[in-house]
Amino acid sequence: MSIRGFAPTRRQTLALGAGGLIAGLIGPQGRARAASDTLTIAYNVNLPSFDPTVGPSAVNPTIQAIYRSVFDQFIGQKPNLAFEPGVLTAWGWNDDKTKIWMDVRPGVTWHDGTPFTPEDIVWSLQRAGKKETGNPIQFVWVGIDNFQVDGNRITADMKQFDPTIFKWMAFLTGYVLPKAYYEKVGADGFEKKPIGTGPYMVDSYQGNAFLRLKANPKYWGGKPAFDTVVFKFVTDATSRVAEIESGSSDLTLEIPYEEYDRLKAKKGLAGVATPISDIGMIFINNEGKLDKNVRLAANYAIDKQAIVQRLLRGYGVPIDTLEAPEYEAYDPTIKIGFQPDKAAKLMQEAGYSPQKPFKTTLQTTRGFKPKDYEMIQAIVGMWRKVGIEADIEVYEIAKHFELRTSHKLAPLAFYNWGNAIGDPSTSTGHAMFGPSPHSSWKSDDLDKMIGPLWGEKDEAKRIAGYKAVDRYIAENGYVIPLLQYVQPIVFKDDLKVTPNISGAMQPTLVSKKS
Amino acid sequence: MAEVALNHDAAVAAGPPKLRRRSALRALLAQPKVVFAGGFIVLLILLALFAPVIAPHDPLDQDLLSGTLPPAGFAGAQPGYWLGTDDLGRDVLSRLIYGTRVALTVAFVAAFAAALLGTVLGLFAGFYGGAVDAIVSRLVEIWMAFPPVLLSILIVAIMGSGVRSVIVAIAIIDWTRFARVVRAETMAQAKADYVVAARVLGFGRLAILFREILPNVAPVLLALVTLEMGIAVIVEAILSFVGLSVSSDTPTWGGMIAQGRQIIYQAWWVFAAPLAALFATVLAFNQLGDGLRRALDPVMQR
Amino acid sequence: MLASSLIKRAVMAAVTLFGVAVIVFLLLRVAPGDPIAMMIGPGASAEDIASLRAHYGLDQPFLTQFVIWLAGILHGDLGTSISLHRNVVELLRERLPATLELAIVACAVAVILGGSVAILGTWLRGRGEGAIDAANGIMLAVPDFVWALAFVLVLGVFWQAFPLSGRIDPSIDPHFTTGFYLFESIFTGRFDLTRDILAHMAMPALALALPLAAIIIRILKDALSEAMLQDYVLLARVKGMSELRLIAGEALRNAVGPTLALTGVQFTFLIGGTVIVERIFAYPGIGSMAIDAVINRDLPLIQGLVLVFGALFILINLAIDVAVAALNPRLRHG
Repeated sequence: MSIRGFAPTRRQTLALGAGGLIAGLIGPQGRARAASDTLTIAYNVNLPSFDPTVGPSAVNPTIQAIYRSVFDQFIGQKPNLAFEPGVLTAWGWNDDKTKIWMDVRPGVTWHDGTPFTPEDIVWSLQRAGKKETGNPIQFVWVGIDNFQVDGNRITADMKQFDPTIFKWMAFLTGYVLPKAYYEKVGADGFEKKPIGTGPYMVDSYQGNAFLRLKANPKYWGGKPAFDTVVFKFVTDATSRVAEIESGSSDLTLEIPYEEYDRLKAKKGLAGVATPISDIGMIFINNEGKLDKNVRLAANYAIDKQAIVQRLLRGYGVPIDTLEAPEYEAYDPTIKIGFQPDKAAKLMQEAGYSPQKPFKTTLQTTRGFKPKDYEMIQAIVGMWRKVGIEADIEVYEIAKHFELRTSHKLAPLAFYNWGNAIGDPSTSTGHAMFGPSPHSSWKSDDLDKMIGPLWGEKDEAKRIAGYKAVDRYIAENGYVIPLLQYVQPIVFKDDLKVTPNISGAMQPTLVSKKS
Repeated sequence: MAEVALNHDAAVAAGPPKLRRRSALRALLAQPKVVFAGGFIVLLILLALFAPVIAPHDPLDQDLLSGTLPPAGFAGAQPGYWLGTDDLGRDVLSRLIYGTRVALTVAFVAAFAAALLGTVLGLFAGFYGGAVDAIVSRLVEIWMAFPPVLLSILIVAIMGSGVRSVIVAIAIIDWTRFARVVRAETMAQAKADYVVAARVLGFGRLAILFREILPNVAPVLLALVTLEMGIAVIVEAILSFVGLSVSSDTPTWGGMIAQGRQIIYQAWWVFAAPLAALFATVLAFNQLGDGLRRALDPVMQR
Repeated sequence: MLASSLIKRAVMAAVTLFGVAVIVFLLLRVAPGDPIAMMIGPGASAEDIASLRAHYGLDQPFLTQFVIWLAGILHGDLGTSISLHRNVVELLRERLPATLELAIVACAVAVILGGSVAILGTWLRGRGEGAIDAANGIMLAVPDFVWALAFVLVLGVFWQAFPLSGRIDPSIDPHFTTGFYLFESIFTGRFDLTRDILAHMAMPALALALPLAAIIIRILKDALSEAMLQDYVLLARVKGMSELRLIAGEALRNAVGPTLALTGVQFTFLIGGTVIVERIFAYPGIGSMAIDAVINRDLPLIQGLVLVFGALFILINLAIDVAVAALNPRLRHG
């Protein structure tokens, strides 16, 4: 109904042409509405829960855009991933790195008008550390203990030094929830009417259909650009294309790259596509009986450049480690490269050839990320030429989590790893450290290298340590890094959109062109 | 899968067929539907069997440099790729031809599995009546209350995706169609003179059931199985569409539709070709089943 | 007689529903895949999983689980959705009206469309009947999701005749007291909303209706041709009644019963079709929840959904049984 930019009369005529009388009777009417104060986003995922700290939605990078609109993270993050003061204005460690301190922004109010206090921060951090709440990142928050509040300053003990704790405060589940309100209404009441301190307030929500937000006039960061923001939940990519093409939505994202190219060339539409902090990779399971030669051959046989250029139409950045160029421990000197001859030779040394292939299984999602399934088919085709015969098995992302947690992934498993804080511990660290529930490759040699880095107090040494780990992983082929994703966003050309490297398409990053 | 279902019920409504074996074949060939649709399906079977010989290319052979080539006759087409290529540079025609293998495997195996399960239960229920009938009838009723699409998605999600799961899902869901019709037919036949005569002659009950009644139920069954094959092809497509069907890079029509849908503006042929194949095949199975029903059922012969 | 047979039917319906419940329970308990591991995602330790299993009662013995579950159902408690953190009954109560309205509208479209084409086909008989049969054959071979995809492209994007997603324009605050937006808007006289709601329904309803319409055409046309050969029709014809009146009056009255009886079974396909069609049009009914529920192994929600779908099917068929019995004077006395 929110078709804008078409005169009603013309639309009526079109409708009549389309479906005759019925369409004319019930077709869209020219409802007058000011286009400028509402932003309608055709969104690619459903919102399963308003609580940003529990369940799988809490770790879904895309949904963070909605959470960040309603709530505030402890610490803010700019679209270029730099951290900025949020409801915490300053933070840091004490000298011997056993305690942390945080300064709370004064004068902030919750959406219901009640004042926001340091107590809310303390309660939110404590709650996040409790297992029974179902916080998937609980293992990080549980390290903070013994909170003390003095005016606007909170101090707390750290059970052990964690160099990433403040980064986590701008990352998954690092949100401030209203203590008094939550305790009053309970979990169910909160789902029905959630409040936060964020730039937008929940106005109306219809599951699987839409979420309507109203600007928070008292937002501490200033009133946002749009009075109303509507997230329409359109999980089907083709339907999202239809939404933007018909003018029903003002902005959409995560559409096939072909469609991105086609749509942005259309009159009235514009597009932006930048690399985000999501990488595509293939986990190798150490119990999958892939010897070193096969692992390395699997790495060398993939022509990432061709995949990016041909299949993704240039929208992607090939990577050689689990660090994308924007990450802190990115080391451009580590190269794997496309070496089909070397791959074939390695396979021969391992006793395999295209005629007598090494047989294995490769699990993948399908349609979870743009072209994921096509990419995997292309890779299997490339492997086939050097003597790896991989049987493709499609799984859902929830299934992937289950298998990964129980260390039952197939010998090879495709996944996309998000790391919006760019820290090496949240990419290489969690993905490759044996005791971590996220890893698929578990071996002592690697654990000995990563282990000491978790609590390393010297930041330069820590980053250098991770670079060394990444090089060692590349030399041994313990994982197959593929590419960094590019997020395509298409919008009406009277809007200005700042892409967010974290991939969270926050409405606050959209403004009207004047 | 809805559309074809009615024919089964219509078959019941039309009453029991009175079989005249000698004239059956003649009646069949007199039905143009049977000839055309049957011919098309025979063609499909040949395509599936001789796919490696007929297909111009290896269906898995990809060439990212020659992706989305248009079909012959369009600007930019390359010789040898009659229906163009998909975004991985695979030959659409070859994938279509190989796709018949999965489609027909699912169609035949699933339909026969569903038929076997349903027929056995239907025969016993119709013949023995009483408690057996009550149990089977109740089971059928319970089963039919499940929404088929949801149930098939559930079964495939539980078993994991793959041809095997699709076949099992179809058989588990659709046996009721056969059970209902066969039960009604068997009940009617059990009262017929020849069955009474066989009883008097002292034939065993099972012998009567399988030697006398089953052959007389067979024509209706044949029509039902044919219709079920069309349903199976659609179910496979639906499951592929949701992303739950065959998951290796084995070409399937449903998978091709799902893939082609994403690039419909850039390469419509990747979407249109398998859709046309799916449509023609379902139409052929429907028409063949319908023709069989009419040909084998004197009531329907006008 | 009628009352007692009705009671018997109702009891049978209840037994069937119970059977559905038992099978759902069994099916989901034998399913591999741990819903809890899926629920909390990576990062959970074995103890976390164990404590949540206990929380959801999944660590109890099989039979205990069943008894608890059954008692819950009888109290109208279907548990809490694992993926949506909401009470299942509440979720279903919120979403069911949307699907019901969609199904009813789709059904009405199918009946009107199917009925008129069948009557037209019978009336035309020799002339043009072939064309109708051919078109019908084609309609029968096109599944609902393919219609839906076609409508998105043609009616949604190209002609922009209808909105592509949702149930009502997000800018509207209908303040409805029930979930039945369409009916409520009609009864409260807010016809501008009715229009908007119908526009949102148009494409999904049509996609669901076409396959059902094809079936109705098929069955009704056969039944009509048969009825046209009956004595009383011949008699009426001799009396000089017009052909169209013969069909629409005399023959139709006798063909409606069997058509209705056979169409009832098909209604389950229409309801089942909402699973995919609602997803394509982002229509917030129970269908669009279903695929996510299955993918997330959300046992309580799946159970609730299947039970509701099953109950709908059983109730509709019960209603149709009653209608057929009421329409048919012979059965009424039988």
